[in-house]
Amino acid sequence: MRFAIPAALAAMLALWGTPAAAQDDTAAVPPAVAAAEGRCGTCHPKERVQFERSRHAQERVRCVDCHGGNADALTVGAAHGAGFTGKLAKPAIVRMCASCHSEEQKMRAYNLPVDQLALYQLSGHGVRLAKGDLRVAVCSDCHGAHDILTVRDTRSATYPLNVPRTCGKCHGDSTTAAGRGAKENVFAAYASSVHARALLDQGNAHAPTCTSCHGVHGAAPPQYGDVNKVCGGACHTEERRYFTAGPHDQRMAAKGQPECASCHSAHAIGRAKPERLATVCADCHTAGSPERALGEKLWTDYRSAAQDVEAAEALAAKAEAVPINTDDYRARLEEARTYLSEALPAAHSVTQDVVLVPTQRARSVGREVQSEIREKLGRIGANKLLLLVLWFYVGLTIVVVRRFRGDRS
Amino acid sequence: MSATTPQKSGRGHWLDWLERRINVTELFSVLSHFGFVYTPVDNTRPLREVWDEVLARPVSSYLRWPRVLGLVTAVLFGVEALSGVLLACYYQPTPATAFATTRTIARDVPLGWLIHQVHAWGAYLLIAAVTLRLLRFFWDHLYRAPREVLWVCAVAMGWVVIQLDFTGRLLPWDGHSYWSVVRGLEVISAQPIVGPLLSFLVAGPLVTGDMLIRFYVLHTMLLPALFLGLFFLTFATLRRVGLSGPSALEAARPARTVTYRDHLASVVTLFVLLFAALVTLATLLPLPFHAEADPYSTPPATRPPWYLLPAYALIQGLHLPRWLPGSALLLVSLAVLFLPAWLRRWDTPGQERRIRTIAVAVFGVWVLLAIAGVFVDRLK
Repeated sequence: MRFAIPAALAAMLALWGTPAAAQDDTAAVPPAVAAAEGRCGTCHPKERVQFERSRHAQERVRCVDCHGGNADALTVGAAHGAGFTGKLAKPAIVRMCASCHSEEQKMRAYNLPVDQLALYQLSGHGVRLAKGDLRVAVCSDCHGAHDILTVRDTRSATYPLNVPRTCGKCHGDSTTAAGRGAKENVFAAYASSVHARALLDQGNAHAPTCTSCHGVHGAAPPQYGDVNKVCGGACHTEERRYFTAGPHDQRMAAKGQPECASCHSAHAIGRAKPERLATVCADCHTAGSPERALGEKLWTDYRSAAQDVEAAEALAAKAEAVPINTDDYRARLEEARTYLSEALPAAHSVTQDVVLVPTQRARSVGREVQSEIREKLGRIGANKLLLLVLWFYVGLTIVVVRRFRGDRS
Repeated sequence: MSATTPQKSGRGHWLDWLERRINVTELFSVLSHFGFVYTPVDNTRPLREVWDEVLARPVSSYLRWPRVLGLVTAVLFGVEALSGVLLACYYQPTPATAFATTRTIARDVPLGWLIHQVHAWGAYLLIAAVTLRLLRFFWDHLYRAPREVLWVCAVAMGWVVIQLDFTGRLLPWDGHSYWSVVRGLEVISAQPIVGPLLSFLVAGPLVTGDMLIRFYVLHTMLLPALFLGLFFLTFATLRRVGLSGPSALEAARPARTVTYRDHLASVVTLFVLLFAALVTLATLLPLPFHAEADPYSTPPATRPPWYLLPAYALIQGLHLPRWLPGSALLLVSLAVLFLPAWLRRWDTPGQERRIRTIAVAVFGVWVLLAIAGVFVDRLK
């Protein structure tokens, strides 16, 4: 018994002192390819380390499944013997990956699609590869060779936030891009865009990335006439609705101009700035043309409505400092802001009557709120005249008090 | 006495009835402890006789500049107490309701805005009156024997009004007041020993609901009671040592002697004028109503209340250790409290002039530091 306390303390110290050994988290990870399953790692330790982290290792895919040869051989000659393919050429990589990923029986268990090869063959990459261009991307260029991870893994090259950099490996390399005759460094242009701000700065994984517009395995530039479907099909639906109802849609398609990209650029898409209404038309229309005048008119209408709403908001802030109850005005000014934000998609119709509807609504709400708040503030100002009455009674009181003093003195 | 009273006029009938059951004069004499009557009252005689005598008795009026500052302080305290009671009818001191109920008072209750603004403006004027009175006491050397107790009371009143301001500042729970108190507490709680102790008493370094309710208790109960106690002491001393002689500022004019009746009429006039001035200020220069406090966002240009600005300027501008300026401020205010003891032997005219010069220099530095405190954040 007399050793019980020291023994307990020693046990506690021992437990405290050995956390690294006890908490080795490799034990929690499912076994990857065990050494017994192949000896390739003996000579290729770097590849082995990469592979053991990959999704394929968890599913017990073995080196020989892709590279052929004999994983159990004791000599290099025997290991690299019959059926060994070594490092595969680009066209062979596509076929090799598809040998599993196009097999419904193999992929069904993982609920993975099996159309990647078919899509790839239709893509810009696939078409060029078929023509013998070996500079294009194949499966391993985007997914990696040995360290393939799922799209949901934040370390994966195909995780949405990492996609711009993955595509940018080729499309952001000016030498490669110039070799293809590309006009701009696409990655740099995208990185300057409002889409990149949302995706990369705010970490919004739903923000548009390269694959959102170009497709994934079937990646290709959209055709003229399809650009408005790409931008407005799922995201900018209101802008597209007004755009297709306006004159630009048909005429741009006829002239072979990329619809949305004509004004907003293809990749360096900036934040929507209403003041651009006054200037952007100059990119195509000559000075003094009715189209230029229309653009300036749309901007003037929008600006005057926005100024009315801003003035009403400033008055509401002034009223709150009194304080006057502005809950109702705040709700109506929200409504006015909604009208203003409807006016910007409506401007894609480039039709004055269409844009005037929301701007005039915003303006009338703004002016109503202004006049109602001014009336209330004016009433408070008029109350100040009551001070005259107060001071009259103060004077009267002083006279009475002096009389009270004068009586006895 | 009961035999003579019925044949007196009917007006005094109820008073005589009361006089037979309770010593009304004794009750009345309580008022004299708070300055309403500052001459001795004979408790053994009936009230009407005492009152007639009080009215006719010649007194030296303190209703002349600068002696009037004491009375202004008393009247403003009365206005603050009255408007404070009215505000307390609606105000609820919890973080969830403090701002909403303050807004109800200022926005929805009839004339609530006026009470609220009068309370706020009255606080500024009260601090100004107490400060001016203290400066005047200093200038006229009224800390000398036998007026030491008056001086100590005047300094203590200065402390109490500043604490009333600091505690009342938090109550509306708007962004401005909340962050002003946060900044103020940073200066105060950085002091060694005193800081942690004060923090403990007001429920910790964080501005939370616990602190709000303690500030409320301090603002509405403890500090006003303390202020009343100081009034009592002031008038008790005044009855013993008499009103101060003519000020150095009005040395040429002799002190005026009036009847108490005249004096009372002047007090009523002063009250009416002060009240009208407060209502005018509240109407013409209303203090702005700020948005609700958000503990997660500091509004721009937030700084501590003006009386902590010199310490704030030193902390922010010169990067002095946080505990130093607050402690220096505390030591200076303690030194001011014990001024009568410090300056006991400095009584020749030359020495008195030197005291004034030093004081003007110290006051000038204080004002300059306070101005620096306003701009110290803007310079960064």
